[in-house]
Amino acid sequence: MKYPRIAYRNGKRYFYRFSLVQRIQHIVLFTTVITLSLTGFPLRYYDKPWAEPLYNFMGGIEVAPWIHRIAGSILLGLFVFHTGYWIYLFFKNRIGRLKRENQLTFRNAVREFFSQEMIPNAKDGRDLIDMFKYLLYFTNRPPRYDRMSWKEKFDYFAPYWGIPILGPAGVALWFRDEITHYVPGIVLNAFYIMHTDEALLAALFLFFVHWYNVHYSPEKFPLGTVFLTGYLSESDMIHEHYAEYVKIMKEEGLEHEIKPQIH
Amino acid sequence: MLKNIILFLGFTLLAVAGGVGGKVHAADELNCVLCHKHRGLSRVDENGDFRLFYINEKMFKKGPHSRLKCIDCHRDIEEIPHKPAKKVDCTVECHLEEPSSKQNFSHKPVSEILSKSIHSRYDENGNLKEMASKYPEDFPSCKDCHDNPLYRPLSFFKGEAAGISRRGLSRCRTCHTKGEFAETFYAHVTSRLQKMRSPKEIVGICAKCHGDPAFQERHDLDAVVTSYMETFHGKAVHFGSEETPDCIDCHVVSGESVHFIEGRESPTSAIAEGNIATTCRTAECHADAGENIAGFQVHVTYDKEKYPLQHYMLKFFTALMAAVLYFFVVIIFLELLRRLFPNFSFIKSSDADERGH
Repeated sequence: MKYPRIAYRNGKRYFYRFSLVQRIQHIVLFTTVITLSLTGFPLRYYDKPWAEPLYNFMGGIEVAPWIHRIAGSILLGLFVFHTGYWIYLFFKNRIGRLKRENQLTFRNAVREFFSQEMIPNAKDGRDLIDMFKYLLYFTNRPPRYDRMSWKEKFDYFAPYWGIPILGPAGVALWFRDEITHYVPGIVLNAFYIMHTDEALLAALFLFFVHWYNVHYSPEKFPLGTVFLTGYLSESDMIHEHYAEYVKIMKEEGLEHEIKPQIH
Repeated sequence: MLKNIILFLGFTLLAVAGGVGGKVHAADELNCVLCHKHRGLSRVDENGDFRLFYINEKMFKKGPHSRLKCIDCHRDIEEIPHKPAKKVDCTVECHLEEPSSKQNFSHKPVSEILSKSIHSRYDENGNLKEMASKYPEDFPSCKDCHDNPLYRPLSFFKGEAAGISRRGLSRCRTCHTKGEFAETFYAHVTSRLQKMRSPKEIVGICAKCHGDPAFQERHDLDAVVTSYMETFHGKAVHFGSEETPDCIDCHVVSGESVHFIEGRESPTSAIAEGNIATTCRTAECHADAGENIAGFQVHVTYDKEKYPLQHYMLKFFTALMAAVLYFFVVIIFLELLRRLFPNFSFIKSSDADERGH
């Protein structure tokens, strides 16, 4: 197997999390989002002292809007690709299995749909309660997250809801002349607010909350590397995905080597 | 009498010391710059305002008034040294001849156009407006928007920055060899092929009054400058775009004098209900846009009554942002606190070292 579920480097255990295709998608995602931020926010905050030097660095009023449009187009392309990607995986892995097992009913297909790893479920609600119990000192047992914690699902759906709001609005503002043949002008006003306000929310969330979770927090600082290597260290697995950790260790026949969640 | 003699002698001495005729401009027959070339020439006037009377000759020569004599505009000056001069009236006839009509030149027609615009102190029947009698200074005259301007000549030649193009000028000089005529005429013509001022400067001029909250309240006007600066137009202009519309582009009917700005109520104004689409769809701007472009609101203030859609959208996104960010900030704060003080749990789980579920 090209990517073993558990890899060993320098005597340490690493757990496989993200495939190469997924990591490339993520690199395209954050490259375009950072580019879009650098060419967008100087406009929103045009009167701040950092805005003009930054905007001029990004090419100024003649060039930066085009960088913004190109990066936005790539991001929209990624959105379409990713949607196709998970639909493909869903049919290949889940519907295909149901077919092979001759159990393809509508009910089973729906159940499979909702059991995909990024879809929120009842356990996320229980985990959230467990997390607050832990954070507020009611217990010393941290929540035991599955393959995807509720935080990661939130991280996933932030852009998955953000891009359909930001993207089409951006395209409409780009092709404002053409669009006014079909929709009232005030729609452009609405798109303008959607584009700039949703962008601010996305940027604040990504550059503070998301980066805190994956880079700034004490056990990750200065850089969490799973987005590059696809593998997460054993200590991070125990800390962030204990339920998944235990499951993989059992499936790989390493039951006796499972480490405790609390030391 | 003695005082006069002393003054005369002093003046003569100064004239000699200053080197009369050396670098003084030809039009300055009376040698006004003898005194006015001194950078510190200033005083505090009756209103307590600091007034600077320094004339930078080099700069002055780059402007459209460089061929006028000082007393062409400052007409009340009869002796030198002179008493405090009155403010200049731009509508007087100067001694300059307008070449097409051979008549003496005057800015009076501009003043007449201005008097028909929304900025006039008089209404269409020629009566003084009520607001104008109360706040005459709120209604602009020439010098509220214009100072002594400088030419902003355009360069048509590749690779040359805007300004007097030596290569362009060389073509004029082939025939017009005499004096500085070619240079002045080149600047006169080419500076009128574009705006005299950059869009950013024009917005700044309108903002002198329209950006003032007290002025807005007096005349029951919206904060139009702030709202304009929120549009892409305003931002592009802020970052130095010359192609993006400023106030004048949308508020003056294409082909009219820029001094003829009308109010929204006037049916002939550029921003009257039925004319907005035409204004937006001029050849240089949104030529391919549909009629609906008129529905785009430029001066959005997020006022609940006037702009309900924008008002509630802003509220929605602000609430969403606050909810998401506060939620995570609280969690991050608690996580850090939990890490700092790990051993204060109320319940120490008995399955603390349990291996899995």
